Amino acid sequence: MMKKWRQQVRNWLTNQLELPADLVMDLPRITMIGHIHIYIENHRGLLTFSDKELRLLLKQGQLLVRGEQFVIKTILPEEILLEGKIHHVIYLDE
Amino acid sequence: MKNKWMNFLSGSVKVKVQGKGIERFVNKCLRNGIHIWNVKKQDEHTATFFIFLKDVRAMRVMVRKSGCKLFFIGKSGLPFLGKKMLRNTGFLIGIFLFFALVFLLSNMVWNVRIEGAKPETEYRILKELKQMGVEKGAFQFLLDPPEVIQQKLTDRIETITWVGVELKGTTFYFQVVEKKKPKEPEAVGVRHLVAKKKAVITHMFVEEGQPLVAVHDYVNKGQVLVSGIIGKEGKTKLVPARGKIFGETWYKSTVVLPFDSVFQVYTGKYMEKHYIAIGSFSLPVWGFKKPPFSHYKTENQKRALQFWRWKLPIYYERVIYRENEEVKRSYTWNEALQKAKEMARNELEGKLETDASIVGEKILHATKENGKVKVEIHYQVVENIAIPQPIVQGD
Repeated sequence: MMKKWRQQVRNWLTNQLELPADLVMDLPRITMIGHIHIYIENHRGLLTFSDKELRLLLKQGQLLVRGEQFVIKTILPEEILLEGKIHHVIYLDE
Repeated sequence: MKNKWMNFLSGSVKVKVQGKGIERFVNKCLRNGIHIWNVKKQDEHTATFFIFLKDVRAMRVMVRKSGCKLFFIGKSGLPFLGKKMLRNTGFLIGIFLFFALVFLLSNMVWNVRIEGAKPETEYRILKELKQMGVEKGAFQFLLDPPEVIQQKLTDRIETITWVGVELKGTTFYFQVVEKKKPKEPEAVGVRHLVAKKKAVITHMFVEEGQPLVAVHDYVNKGQVLVSGIIGKEGKTKLVPARGKIFGETWYKSTVVLPFDSVFQVYTGKYMEKHYIAIGSFSLPVWGFKKPPFSHYKTENQKRALQFWRWKLPIYYERVIYRENEEVKRSYTWNEALQKAKEMARNELEGKLETDASIVGEKILHATKENGKVKVEIHYQVVENIAIPQPIVQGD
């Protein structure tokens, strides 16, 4: 109940004060360059990684990236840069 | 993204991790501040990635708790390169020695070529050069510059008129022009001998021709002394007149000499400093003291060092400090007169032929003005006054 209420406040704040959503609501910011690079900020850790799939933990839910020949170019506690052929970027809500 | 150069400088290690829960292990590493990049999954339970060399110890600790196995499979970066180089010190020394050797050899003299000289002159030149240090194996920057060598050679060897000195790479080229004694013109045309200036004949020596004057005769300029026409009237014959007619001639010269004069004279003491100059910066190599002279002149010799065929922008510079001092000279009236006479005589002798002689001198008048002495001297000279004058045929 409390959690939902907080979420609503944040939603209202972003809309009214025009603050960036990723900062206020702790959402991932995803930058893609074509289908070869994907840069994800604000993740919460690596769940699985293979050369065809990357699964990241987010504050809410998970992010699944599918493709081929994946290489993690850089990984930092909250950022990740993935290289390869990206086919799908899927949100998994829980 | 971190700079790739940083990776190179601090050194990085490629590791392989085997086991279950690689993702968990990676997360743990990240949380502990270990930077990871280029993560690749080989198969289900194997991944490779790079870490910094400084993080290896921390990673080892981490692995123990995670249940994965860690293999180091590659290394790159400056620290490893340095280690490798240390192992190959011999090779490095070799490279360094090679360059040092080429550098040294390109600054040596390897050849001395002399062209245009007779064997004996060539031998003499070689001997002189050896004395100057110009020979095979000498360092170029220790030698005199080519202009000085040229000057010295022409001074010391009287049989050469001119010598061109050129330093091309490691070879000295000498282009020699030898003096040739001019041969007496054998076949001369028919001619008279005439007086070149007015004179009184003192003695004469006629080889060929009809003398028209006698001893004690006064002759004018252009007067025929020895005729090239010989034989009796009607049976004349033309010959080239030859001979020497000596006559007394007169010269007047004026000399002005100051009583007091100041000279800069070298005392003969000198000091050398050596530099290696790169651009405008010069590094002293030898001679760090200040020159211990109060008055001195400096002389700069700058030479470009060579590597292989190229001149480097590095110079070997030699600075010579020569002590000089001021010398004041003052003459008394008599001394000045004496000196002036001497100077005038020397000047005149320089102008006269070698077979001429000064038989008398007389001071016409000597005056003193503005601290200078002005002397007019009259000279009596006995010299050969005959000069040839061709007879124009068909007259």
